[in-house]
Amino acid sequence: MNGIFSGAGLRRLRVMTHKELLQLFRDVALMVFFLYAFTGDIYIAASGVSMQLKNAAIATLDGDHSLASRELASRFQPPYFQAAGSAGTPRQAIRHLDDAEVMAVLDIPPRFGERLSRGEQVAVQLQVDTSNSVLGFLASSYGAQIVGRYGLEVAALREGLSSGGIAGPVIQADTRIWYNPNQNDAWFMGISEMLTVITLFAILLPAAAMVREKERGTIEQLMVTPLSAFQILFPKVIAMTLVILAGTAIALFGVLGPCFNLPMRGNLVLFFLITALYVFTTAGLGLLAATVARNLAQVGMLTVVILMPMLLLSGAWTPIEAMPEWMRILAWASPLHYFLDAAYGILLKGVGMALLWQPVLAMGLLGVVVFGAGMGRFGRQFG
Amino acid sequence: MKHQRIIALAWKEWREIIRDRLFFALAFIVPTMLMLLFGFGLTLDVENLPFAVVDHDRSAASRDYTYRFISSRYFDFKGQAGDERQLDTLLADNRIRLALVIPPRFGERLARGEAAPVQVLIDGTFPMRAQTTQGYVAAINSAVSLDNMAGALSAGRGIPLAEAQARVQPVKLEVRYLYNQSVKSIWSLAPKLIMLIMMLSPPFLTALGVVREKESGSIFNIYSSTVSPGEFLIGKLAPYVAISFTNGLILWALAVGLYGTPFKGDPAFFALALLLYVVCTTGLGLVISMLVQTQVAAMIVASIVSIIPAVLYSGMLLPLSSLAPGASAIAHALPPMYFTNIVVGSFLKGVGWQALWADMLVLTAYAVGLFGLGYLLFSKRPSA
Repeated sequence: MNGIFSGAGLRRLRVMTHKELLQLFRDVALMVFFLYAFTGDIYIAASGVSMQLKNAAIATLDGDHSLASRELASRFQPPYFQAAGSAGTPRQAIRHLDDAEVMAVLDIPPRFGERLSRGEQVAVQLQVDTSNSVLGFLASSYGAQIVGRYGLEVAALREGLSSGGIAGPVIQADTRIWYNPNQNDAWFMGISEMLTVITLFAILLPAAAMVREKERGTIEQLMVTPLSAFQILFPKVIAMTLVILAGTAIALFGVLGPCFNLPMRGNLVLFFLITALYVFTTAGLGLLAATVARNLAQVGMLTVVILMPMLLLSGAWTPIEAMPEWMRILAWASPLHYFLDAAYGILLKGVGMALLWQPVLAMGLLGVVVFGAGMGRFGRQFG
Repeated sequence: MKHQRIIALAWKEWREIIRDRLFFALAFIVPTMLMLLFGFGLTLDVENLPFAVVDHDRSAASRDYTYRFISSRYFDFKGQAGDERQLDTLLADNRIRLALVIPPRFGERLARGEAAPVQVLIDGTFPMRAQTTQGYVAAINSAVSLDNMAGALSAGRGIPLAEAQARVQPVKLEVRYLYNQSVKSIWSLAPKLIMLIMMLSPPFLTALGVVREKESGSIFNIYSSTVSPGEFLIGKLAPYVAISFTNGLILWALAVGLYGTPFKGDPAFFALALLLYVVCTTGLGLVISMLVQTQVAAMIVASIVSIIPAVLYSGMLLPLSSLAPGASAIAHALPPMYFTNIVVGSFLKGVGWQALWADMLVLTAYAVGLFGLGYLLFSKRPSA
């Protein structure tokens, strides 16, 4: 057997990589969707999704119709709220909420203004649709801030603490949001979608390419050639990595940069190197799945088993800190978890290897272990 | 159309599925596994946010203020930082998501009855998390402010603290959380997980099942047989619909039994809606399988058409009201959004036909449309 990196070994790798690329490009439907995934899909995700509470419709049940009640109701304004007029009767208000026509109902009791001016404490009620718990939380949080501020102003005026406005021993928070000061969802969603698409292809393409050879029996042809297991497996990964890196470049420079002004603060060469490492690691997972599966249908299902937990438990969509302990441990085994830190770190925060060596090292180790296991199993199956 | 042929075809497909033991097992394991994994692990609650404090004041007041954050279950205190420059590194390295900078003379200002500034730094990488964090911080700050005002008022006027507290807070807000009174994520999540998982697994199963015949060439047996396209499609898909419907019922049982999500609606109505939805997602797999030639392409297309819209555009993680036109068009063009209305309505709101008939109608139209499209695309004499 030739050494892996001897002249002949390298030539074999090159020829096999070429074969994989050819095979990939000939599947037109696949390539069309590949391009769509790295352009249109990312564009739509980045431009179309906002996780913020915007213009939530709020109806008012005003039992008072006084100056004070109108003043309070009028403070529920855009950007967070949008007045949806009077809710009518309490039963109608519930129906509006049931039909999701409004997100919240502000219920101001009768004699609200009168009791306020007499110095009593009055309760107003906010009914919030929390079918979506994140939005529900935001709506009640903003509502509490609006009502709290109104209350403080009334109190300040009434107690003579100041003439209008709020003074006194209060906390004045100056809040700064770093890395994405305008809370531009497009940056977050765009990067998140790009990482999702990269992950999807990095698992599926090599796994499918491998099992297709098994299913069609062409693997037997490869086995009788002088190629080693490594020389059969590795070119698949190289080919897919090249294609995925090209897709990433298109997404970054063709979509996220020009359309959304993604800052890309860090070193892009480093970003692409880390992406290559990530694709390699994840491809290892796909190949491992391919050694378990006997046909493509099985690979498809196994891919879902690997992909979905990776995506949803990596911290891309939901915070890892709030997960139960054992889940956080599982998240450490997900290469996407490290890639996420690195990608957001480089693109948004502008950090370099000095801070990223830990996730990168962890990802590399994971890749070696997974790829090694895949190679081992493959060797035993066909050796 | 002959029932006999349909039954024979369905039986053949069923035999083929159960002979592939790994595939058959995965068809049931995948949905249940996803339900367990996401149900326990996927939480939208923003909790245990790691944070650090730079306290330039080091007074009793600043310690009290810091302690408000430390004692909250939403925050996880990572310690004092020496200066602001250290915060830079901590935030960049994801070791903290929030930092408080308490300037000198913080306690002194409060004691004199003046407003005291505080700087709050939030990692804005994840905008939703940053917003929620801002909400928590604002809530703590206003509670501290109210307590301080009440304290000052009570000391200044010589009135009891309780009365002063009532006076500085003339308007009390009572928030009622509807449909999910504890704002616990799992209750709003579990029903939507049924939607998500039933969107993921049926298209995969079906697309692979049909394209497998194309790729292996066994479809030519069908082409040359007397089976009509309609018979083939119904017979082929029936086992996948049955498997997926069973899975849907298992997921429903998990949502109610394991996660304790209340089910307030009509079980018969929900079962019908589930069946319709499964027919839709199976039909989606069918159309995909008609359009592509290879199983690899089928998998890629199925995942792009199913996973991403199901997660992003179904109202599961993101509010539908804030989708832009492009994403909104995708949301309306695919079945998950309508089924989300149905699951949320059936589980949490306890509404039925009266409120959800429109969604049922859309799903029905969708199912019919997809099968019609599949029928049109399926030709027994393919040109290639």
